[in-house]
Amino acid sequence: MTRILVVDDEPQILRALQTSLRGAGYDVETASTGEQALTLAAVRPPDAVILDLVLPDRRGTEVARELRAWSKAPIIVLSVVGDESEKVAALDAGADDYVTKPFGVDELLARLRAALRRAEPSAEPVLDIGDLRIDFEAREVTRAGERVQLTPHEYGLLTLLARNEGKLMTHKAILREVWGEAYADESHYLHVYVSQLRRKLEPDPARPRTILTEPGVGYRLVDPLRDF
Amino acid sequence: MKKRGEFLVGVLASAGAVVFVTAAIAVVKRWVPVLSLGVLYIFAVLPVAVVWGLVLAVAVSIASMLAFNWFFLPPTHTFQLRDGANWAVLAVYLVTAVVVSALAARARRRAELAELREREARARAAAELEAESYRRSDTLKTALLHAVSHDLRSPLTAILAAASGLGNPDVRLVRADRDDLVETIRAEAERLNRIVGNLLDLSRLESGVAAPHQELWTADDLVLRALDELGPRGERIVAELDADAPPVQTDAAQIERALVNLLDNALKFSPPDSPVRVRVESRDHELLLHVHDAGPGVPEDDRETVFEPFRRGDGSVRGAGLGLAIARGFAEVNGARVWAENGGGGHFVLALPA
Repeated sequence: MTRILVVDDEPQILRALQTSLRGAGYDVETASTGEQALTLAAVRPPDAVILDLVLPDRRGTEVARELRAWSKAPIIVLSVVGDESEKVAALDAGADDYVTKPFGVDELLARLRAALRRAEPSAEPVLDIGDLRIDFEAREVTRAGERVQLTPHEYGLLTLLARNEGKLMTHKAILREVWGEAYADESHYLHVYVSQLRRKLEPDPARPRTILTEPGVGYRLVDPLRDF
Repeated sequence: MKKRGEFLVGVLASAGAVVFVTAAIAVVKRWVPVLSLGVLYIFAVLPVAVVWGLVLAVAVSIASMLAFNWFFLPPTHTFQLRDGANWAVLAVYLVTAVVVSALAARARRRAELAELREREARARAAAELEAESYRRSDTLKTALLHAVSHDLRSPLTAILAAASGLGNPDVRLVRADRDDLVETIRAEAERLNRIVGNLLDLSRLESGVAAPHQELWTADDLVLRALDELGPRGERIVAELDADAPPVQTDAAQIERALVNLLDNALKFSPPDSPVRVRVESRDHELLLHVHDAGPGVPEDDRETVFEPFRRGDGSVRGAGLGLAIARGFAEVNGARVWAENGGGGHFVLALPA
């Protein structure tokens, strides 16, 4: 059974999540402090972690960073509106996604399923996302069978997002990966490239359905026919 | 222009001083040998030296000597400067004039400097006070934002999670789980209601619209009202009533809010199985309502700060930290007092004027 570790200092939230997640077929462990969460994760490694950013003993971001140091389990952070910088910090520290409080169980389950699916990375040489096909060996991208010409940076950006399908990638993470450490804070760079990429890939670049914007946080590539 | 005006006033005052002393000597000489009265001119020299400085003081010294010589020293109405005593008197006046005016000038400078410093210090203190009040109001606003963002959202999150869990077709729940989620929704909705009530109470108190409606009540009534309001939450409260305690003139609804908040605080900070005691004690001019719990109590240094809004004790305990601030607010508008006491566990006292 898939084991989920839920970390929140609010007993009522823990209780509601535990009952709902168990009802959805998961094995649920709970922790109410960062320390407890780290110990529990070490003793019984979870398949995914749901982590509140505000904990009594330490910041959720720190817990995410420590967990990420030795665990590959996806981490979904629970944040609140007005805490954007903390949320971005948590994502940069290794968290995979976030849900904003208050949230419905449906949204949480969707994020959780997507995160768990990504946890098994595909090493396939060819990736199909909707009508998009990326052939990593041939370095070739086609849309509905037609070849798309991409610059090296556009190709790098697309393949990074595609290999992390569904995952929210922060500006910093993308810039670091595609352009290098020196460009980690040049997010305007990224916006330009993303809009170029959308013009080449999206049927309606003004209403993107494949490369989605998470305002102030980053981008996420999804299969428009499947997710979200 | 101003300087010259001042000098003119000085000249007139100096002349006046000499005239005044001369006239005084003319009167006094009937009873006192005139020769010993020359010293009285010092009373003309002194004030002029203090107020107008050296130049006029020297002028007054010379004028005084001349006036004394002319009017009083025989032969009168002539100048007899050959007399050694006259020269000695003039010398004494002059020395007095120089020394006193120098001293006065120094004192004046010092006084001016001191005043300047004081003005600066006052201005600094005022600026600091203003900055502090801005800081305080900023802290309060930040705390309020935090309270709204965290303390309102937490129960909302639990409610939404539980409700959507109940409604989600992918979530299969046994009967006990359903009951559990329903109970979470109920309890958290009540908690939300309490927080909203507290925020409203606080804003009413801060804007000064919480005018008490005072009537005669017995202590037992007040305690029982509070217990009633607490409902099942207050099951572990043990009440020690006193039917003989004299009634008090107070706003029962507001004192009930104060007492409920004290009891809530005690329930929150004490171990779940330990009792919370509320005790009525009647004293000379006061009726005391004691609330005891088996929690950690309030550290000496925090006895006052716990009553500030948005303060919380131990970080692991939930709540916006409004309860005690509201308890004190409602107590004060009714002329009552609330304070934290020393002694095993938590101990708060609500003292109503009898």
